[in-house]
Amino acid sequence: MAEYIPKYQGTVTKYVFVESPLLTAKDLAVRAYEISAGVMIKETCFGLQVTGTPEEVEPLIEAIREFDPTHIFIKDRGFPPGDERRCRANLGGARPGYLGHEFEMQRVRYISHGLERVARMDAEETGKAAARRPEEGRAHPLDLKKLKELIEAEEP
Amino acid sequence: MVKVFIYPATSLILSDMVARFGHEPLGSAIGIRERIQTPGFESPPLQITPEEPKKGLKWAAVEVPSGVRGRMAVYGPLIEEAEAAIIIKDPDYAFGCMGCARTNELIQFHLRNKGIPVLDVAYPTSDEEGVGFVAAVKEFLTGLKMEESA
Amino acid sequence: MTEKVRIAQLSCGPEYSGVQKEIYDAASMVDAEVFFPDIALSDVQQGFSEFGLDVRSPDLKLAIARAKALVEGRIDADAVFIATCFRCAEAAIVRNELRRYIHENSALPVVSYSFTERTTSGTLLTRMEALTTIARRRALLAREVQEGITLGIDSGSSTTKAVVMKDNEIVGTGWLPTTEVLKSADGVVDLALQEAGLRLDDIEAIGTTGYGRYLIGKKFNAQLIQEELTVNSKGAVYLADRQHGPATVIDIGGMDNKAISVQDGIPGTFTMGGICAGASGRFLEMTAKRLGVDITELGPLAMKGMGNTVPMNSYCIVFGTQSLVNALAEGSAREDVAAAACHSVAEQVFEQQLQEVDIKEPVIMVGGTSLIQGLVRAMGELLQTEIVVPPHSQYIGSVGSALLASGYIRGE
Repeated sequence: MAEYIPKYQGTVTKYVFVESPLLTAKDLAVRAYEISAGVMIKETCFGLQVTGTPEEVEPLIEAIREFDPTHIFIKDRGFPPGDERRCRANLGGARPGYLGHEFEMQRVRYISHGLERVARMDAEETGKAAARRPEEGRAHPLDLKKLKELIEAEEP
Repeated sequence: MVKVFIYPATSLILSDMVARFGHEPLGSAIGIRERIQTPGFESPPLQITPEEPKKGLKWAAVEVPSGVRGRMAVYGPLIEEAEAAIIIKDPDYAFGCMGCARTNELIQFHLRNKGIPVLDVAYPTSDEEGVGFVAAVKEFLTGLKMEESA
Repeated sequence: MTEKVRIAQLSCGPEYSGVQKEIYDAASMVDAEVFFPDIALSDVQQGFSEFGLDVRSPDLKLAIARAKALVEGRIDADAVFIATCFRCAEAAIVRNELRRYIHENSALPVVSYSFTERTTSGTLLTRMEALTTIARRRALLAREVQEGITLGIDSGSSTTKAVVMKDNEIVGTGWLPTTEVLKSADGVVDLALQEAGLRLDDIEAIGTTGYGRYLIGKKFNAQLIQEELTVNSKGAVYLADRQHGPATVIDIGGMDNKAISVQDGIPGTFTMGGICAGASGRFLEMTAKRLGVDITELGPLAMKGMGNTVPMNSYCIVFGTQSLVNALAEGSAREDVAAAACHSVAEQVFEQQLQEVDIKEPVIMVGGTSLIQGLVRAMGELLQTEIVVPPHSQYIGSVGSALLASGYIRGE
């Protein structure tokens, strides 16, 4: 078996996803470069990847999050950016995790909405809202306001 | 800061929420990063070597498929570290690291058996549910902070 | 350098079992590349629900949707490799259904395999080689007539065989137990040449197959070095004179067994097993030894016996031998024990492998074990069909190699 020598030891990589009406992935990249202070940033179709020591990365992603707090989502990544084991170009297609992201990215607008509303709630209101959390098996009644919007949208 | 296991362990939404509300998310990326950054024998793509399914014997018997044991070698140690967990019940389309239903059942079982606080929730499918989702997660995570400081 | 054969991988678990690298390595050894068909999430959701098999594991859903994309021609591939964890019931169901679905709805050669963490590239090599041969060398496999003077050598795990062919006739044969790979090959080549009344210089092209194919291929400067799956299916339909239409080829070898579903002489799906020796020719060898008869006498002995009077049906050679020893100690007739051993091997092959290929008549049995009549009878009973055992069936690999090698005389 061949020896394995890892690259980027001691670093962390974070994905930064953006799903915002006000901020495109490109805008995000430009603004992130301005404050990156040399930390490695790589643009992607959905946002960014940031790689560096935890001490470098943590404050940077917190600053990036502030660009649009309810529309930017961040998660850890196991691989450094451009790693050929996970690279689309080498696999003949997306790695399986990409489809998982695709699935969640269809849902994040509800999260954005939730974050905005919950930010304005006090603890008691949050508790009340929490009691109505979505649960498996619970019916999902169509939101009245949404229904009204749909009906109105159908009008010629 | 509390270590919160996220399920699906690949979830962007949960990873973000846990970190956003001040805790440490434990998921696939943490387990995979450790392997990707540790020297050893080459075993692409994930640096999971044939030794890992053997390590997985700690969580699943030898007649359990190697893919389950290999995944448990990644998740088992994270479950042991976890002090709380958030479980989204229906990750039908969480592939790869969460691609095996049998492993997923076992992960959930171990999390519930540990006696740590667990929040069960489903993916939101509307704006209203998004509010309920975020509120529940926030309340749960805030509660953990208070428990910690108490 | 020929273009790489592109093998689409449909799988669940190899990355987490530490064997994905073994798959990559086996593919690269035969100048192929493994890739994962790229589909969007909506394709996964749609493909999976249309297929109608409601599995829980997301990676199996993905495999199903990828298979649909391949069959519908939305993704190009030369061959398909399906791999799932050994001992996973859910995956085994998907593996079998996908193999059948792809086989029935496309011309893509497909092989399925269930791996453990111990699976190595060596184990996968023969299967990958067969896949790439079918994809890359259809023209070569289309050969139906042997031309000129050619030599085929089959270096098997138990025996080494050689055949000299001239103008579509077998003119010399050689057979020896495999001891030292090269020495045994030299021996059988000498025997075959002697019978043919020819010298090595007279040979116009050489083909090798079997476990020792690379070693002896190098030594004899063979034009064709080929795994036994394609060679044996070719040899089988050639010898049985069933070169057109469907056929099923069963070869119970000394170490592993092949079951191949063939169409016009070209393998479509195949399995190659060999995890448990109770289903191998080796067990019959041990039985013969314990009964004090030569292996050639085991078949006739078994034909005189009643297999169902002796309980014996183990996939493990050690447990099988225990049953054998017990039966003899209890006073069972040697004929009955011989028949039971034949039935046991046939049953293991039937249960472990024949479920994975679509049995289409004629069923052709080849290899040394096809000369054991008791085994052929037992297999025929299990499959409820008349089994075809062609002449020279024990030389199947050599004949297939000699036949295919003749394509190289004029540099095809």
